[in-house]
Amino acid sequence: MASIDTGAKGAPSVDMTPMVDLGFLLITFFMLATTMSKPKTMEIIKPAKNEKDDDAPPLKKSRSLSVLLGERDKVYFYIASDEDLKEGRLQVDSADFSAKGVRGAIRNRQDEVAQQYGSKDTLVVLIKAMPKSKYKNMVDILDEMRITGVKSYALVDLDKIDSTIMESVGSLQQQ
Amino acid sequence: MPKVKMKRQNIRMDMTAMCDVAFLLLSFFILTTKFRPNEPVQVEIPSSTAQIPIPEKDILMISVGSDGRVFFGVDDQNTRAAILDELARRYNFTITGEMQKRFKLIDQFGVPLDKLSSLLTLSQEDMGKFKQTGLRVEPKARVQGGVSSPDDDANAKNDLAELIVIARTLNDRLRIAIKADKGTDYKNIDDVIETLRKTNSNRFNLITTARAGAE
Repeated sequence: MASIDTGAKGAPSVDMTPMVDLGFLLITFFMLATTMSKPKTMEIIKPAKNEKDDDAPPLKKSRSLSVLLGERDKVYFYIASDEDLKEGRLQVDSADFSAKGVRGAIRNRQDEVAQQYGSKDTLVVLIKAMPKSKYKNMVDILDEMRITGVKSYALVDLDKIDSTIMESVGSLQQQ
Repeated sequence: MPKVKMKRQNIRMDMTAMCDVAFLLLSFFILTTKFRPNEPVQVEIPSSTAQIPIPEKDILMISVGSDGRVFFGVDDQNTRAAILDELARRYNFTITGEMQKRFKLIDQFGVPLDKLSSLLTLSQEDMGKFKQTGLRVEPKARVQGGVSSPDDDANAKNDLAELIVIARTLNDRLRIAIKADKGTDYKNIDDVIETLRKTNSNRFNLITTARAGAE
């Protein structure tokens, strides 16, 4: 019998190129629409609220650092004991949130405390945020605590003197 | 000269394999994409170097907008339904099946609790347009089942505290997360934190994004 040469085999070949194009187009869209970075969290543990608010023991001046969160991403810090606060003997410095700013100040203080007590973990940082401070700055300063490795820090209420400091700073800036 | 006979040849690649790969990847991305739910408040979260990932489930989310409005949400739908039942009992409103279905689908809400029933009568479209006023968060309010202090104010209202107490009794695995806008005033955060302390929830998480190139 004469064989019939059919040439190519009967399989119909479909050009897949447009389909691949479409596939990759959609992939690109979904890749860009997906947010891969999951949000992270920062854990905070506050002391339990007591029915009778017993006063905390006074903190030694030599191992403390008070940080005030001001406006326009400024931080003000000072070292003071409770008596100093009452009498208004203070030296307040200011810094910003750059690596040299408040981080440097905290590191310096850690070194001072380490020299005196032998361990930098003795340092206690008191963070005082004004009602008008921005939440971003609060997160930033807590982040600095993590970066500099300060073990004990606390978000505390403002003292009377702190409001005075912020007022005088505010009036200085307006001049 | 002899002619070199070149046979013209079509280069034809088999695209099938490539097509397979493309669609495999496509289906992967489609399945992993989670579209952002319709949120009643836009929150731009601050960045930090924190590394702890957010837990997958059992989250009690408190959102604070840049204008200080506070919203509440629980991720588990069964807990949501149970919360609604409890609120209906306390505020004397009846829940229809439709209302329950709607409440289960709302990720977050922020209206004073006595107005919740009127929020739930809105259709989904109207709810999207409705501007929620935020929960009342007055740290001085007396909290049922929480810590009381001498300077409590009997007239102050704290919806957030009430919701937290209800939610935590219904589901004790809930972890509290605060998602606040980076431009919001510290006072708003402080009110929320004081409320948390009043309800004996002294452990909570602040949600931040990872900061690029830190450390």
